[in-house]
Amino acid sequence: MASRGSSQPPPSPPFRAYRHYKSLTSHKQAVSCVKFSNDGSLLASSSLDKTLIVYSSQTLSSLSHLIGHSAGVSDFSWSLDSHYICSASDDKTLRIWDARSGESVKTLRGHSGFVFCVDFNPQSNLIVSGSFDETVRVWDVKTGKVIHVIRAHAMPVTSVHFIRDGSIIVSGSHDGKCKIWDAATGACLKTLIDEKDGPAVSFAKFSPNGKFVLVATLDDNLRLWNYSTGRYIKNYLGHVNKVYCITSTFSVTNGKYIVSGSEDHCVYIWDLQGKNMVQKLVGHTDSVISVSCHPTENKIASAGLDNDRTVRIWVQDT
Amino acid sequence: MNVSIIDPLQGDFPEIIEEYLEHGVMKCIAFNRRGTLLAAGCSDGTCVIWDFETRGIAKELRDKDSVCPITCVCWSKYGRHVLVSATDKSLTLWDVVNGEKITRITLQQTTLSARLHPSSRVPSVCLACPLSSAPVLVDLNTGSTTVLPVSVSDTGNGVVPALRNKFSDGSPPLTPTAACFNKYGDLIYVGNSKGEILIVDYKNIQVHGIVPVSGGAVIKNIVFSRNGQYLLTNSNDRTIRVYENHLPQKDGPATLDELSRTVDEVHGMEKLKAVGSKCLILSREFQDSINRIHWKTTCFSGDGEWVVGASGSKGEHKIYIWDRAGHLVKILEGPKEALMDIAWHPVNPVVVSVSVTGLVYIWAKDYTENWSAFAPDFKELEENEEYVEREDEFDLVPDTEKVKESNVNEDEEVDIFTVEKDSAFSDSDMSQEELCFLPAVPCPDSLELQDKYGGSSSKLVDSNHSGSPFSEEAGQNGQPSNPASSPLEAVGNSMGEDTGLTESSKRRRKPSEKGLELQAEKVRKPIKKIKASGKLSKAKNKSMEEQDTSNGEYGDDDVYM
Repeated sequence: MASRGSSQPPPSPPFRAYRHYKSLTSHKQAVSCVKFSNDGSLLASSSLDKTLIVYSSQTLSSLSHLIGHSAGVSDFSWSLDSHYICSASDDKTLRIWDARSGESVKTLRGHSGFVFCVDFNPQSNLIVSGSFDETVRVWDVKTGKVIHVIRAHAMPVTSVHFIRDGSIIVSGSHDGKCKIWDAATGACLKTLIDEKDGPAVSFAKFSPNGKFVLVATLDDNLRLWNYSTGRYIKNYLGHVNKVYCITSTFSVTNGKYIVSGSEDHCVYIWDLQGKNMVQKLVGHTDSVISVSCHPTENKIASAGLDNDRTVRIWVQDT
Repeated sequence: MNVSIIDPLQGDFPEIIEEYLEHGVMKCIAFNRRGTLLAAGCSDGTCVIWDFETRGIAKELRDKDSVCPITCVCWSKYGRHVLVSATDKSLTLWDVVNGEKITRITLQQTTLSARLHPSSRVPSVCLACPLSSAPVLVDLNTGSTTVLPVSVSDTGNGVVPALRNKFSDGSPPLTPTAACFNKYGDLIYVGNSKGEILIVDYKNIQVHGIVPVSGGAVIKNIVFSRNGQYLLTNSNDRTIRVYENHLPQKDGPATLDELSRTVDEVHGMEKLKAVGSKCLILSREFQDSINRIHWKTTCFSGDGEWVVGASGSKGEHKIYIWDRAGHLVKILEGPKEALMDIAWHPVNPVVVSVSVTGLVYIWAKDYTENWSAFAPDFKELEENEEYVEREDEFDLVPDTEKVKESNVNEDEEVDIFTVEKDSAFSDSDMSQEELCFLPAVPCPDSLELQDKYGGSSSKLVDSNHSGSPFSEEAGQNGQPSNPASSPLEAVGNSMGEDTGLTESSKRRRKPSEKGLELQAEKVRKPIKKIKASGKLSKAKNKSMEEQDTSNGEYGDDDVYM
């Protein structure tokens, strides 16, 4: 199922190839996002079929089905304690769910367009969301009230992410910009990417230590930026990404890698330092829109769009 | 907030009231070590833990046995415990996470200020400064107390003065005394009514040194800066004094022993003073020589760069901020409500003050938009400059464009994983086990169907209803609270109320609808009927409240049935 990349193997620890382990086929439409919980015990997926499904990440049996949104779900985020999920939907709302019981605890209203991306802060007392209404909103988890409405971009916001201590937020947008915000005041601290008529920024995420931002643009580029200096230092190439807001992530459980979905139906794994592609996971039958790495085990989950509709789990042979 | 791109120059001092917190009548406040939580003691004996990020209540510590006003709150170093002293002479230690009372000790007198010993992981000892006697060390496990010396008689040999001063020497001091631990808790600094600072060994309660404060006025507060390098005293002579601490942060008692050995030419009081003069060096005095303000309370800023004096006399709410060199940099003037307590945020330029009305004011920097943050090529100029264009600036194909691309060195090693230690908290060896925040539990939207009717309903529900609204409602309308009564009746009910739109009925209308839905869930059979009639009330509701009920509404109902 998996084919080896051509480049030389990275330094220690040696890369071990992933293989297809299981496909989860419960969603009725395109899967939009897949994420392991922070404690690694659960896995969840969201779909355009308006629902989310929570699985045990060990047995991969489904534990709960989160039903309530009246339109497709684009993104979701786990709370720190893996107790809650916050989902972003095209019905212009966000919902906070009890992941295990499947109960909808709270509905966050305020956006005037599709809600496209969401993230819990590490403390999990705030939620940030980005929407087609071009705003970024910061919500109080407890009360469900909006704390900041930031007129962040001139086009739909595609991605929002908190840094590891929750002090700043990175946002990306179709307007081609990537900006960094002070979570406490909602003030703009920096515009990281500011190219006139540049390609849309489809995804942005802080590195685990919060020193870099991984940014995907819809011209097949996936770059690692040093946001302090405002320069990118790595560019991961080879995958196809021109249309969808495909997510990528850092794999840190056995060596350091970058993992991303691709519109050629594959999952790409690059060596973080060498930028060489080390493996291409083949199996999905449509664009791979989302990937997630297990926090402690060498396990990858990936999600496919409408022709595929599966969540696939990839593991390493031991 | 130690991120490199946050402008270091903005980290000055607060300027304006950004927000206020309201909950009961708050009397005293304290930040946890990271400044993520703020504990506030109330006049009804409860202690409220505020999530300082969301400015919402994270926890309420309430004890039905203790309803007396709280005089002081103090966090343990690792933030898992809060010590509360109240006017009923009690000291209560709380577990913050589960909100349980761990222990409660009643002393002889009301404690005005209580400090937990800084080094213990599970707090077991606290320093309590009572209303009108010497400070005591309280063992929180056994409740036993040790009275600290507050003065040294001139004839004493300086080795065992402590024992001689336990009330038994005839004249128990009647004025309050102040005391605090040093950073690691191996020394206690006691400020007495004669205007002396006594340096006391925590282990054997011996006075190792004395620092006479000029003027000899009663010392009201004594506070260390967070880094332990500076000590300030607030005396009755309306002067705040800042001392430099010349003792090493660790092994203070050992260093003191050594010091006292080196000064063996003098004895008794003189020796203690000689040692004291090597421990604390007066660096600056602060006062308002015009208004002669009595400082209600004082503190350092989180980084120790600023000295704060707060005045609450004659109903004023003023906060004076000096730099350590002695320059007054800012006077914050609050509402005409006497100031009771202040606290500076451990890391941010934020001050929190309590007013006599029980409100907590949050002072922060006046935020101004940083326009250059929006455009990296945007440069802010002090004054006009004549622009000199580049040689190729208006060329069709500029030469310099290409140079930009090649600047990137993509082979540099990057570290995406290692986290640098936060320098502001370098002394926390086990910061993982520190409690920085309480898990935020989202308050459930009271009923799933409630939020169907739009956002406004949640406000009403939040404000008054919690229990079983239906039965309450039915009672109010003079109908038997029979859960099996016809749903149609309930519908009629709610419609009837819609016609009389008084404020109170508005509030009541919601629960009746909620009751209807509750009922609909209970009585599964007549679902169809409810739907038919329910439409009416929904339509009505829609027009009444102009809510944007989506057109998918009726379809959605299926989910809940």
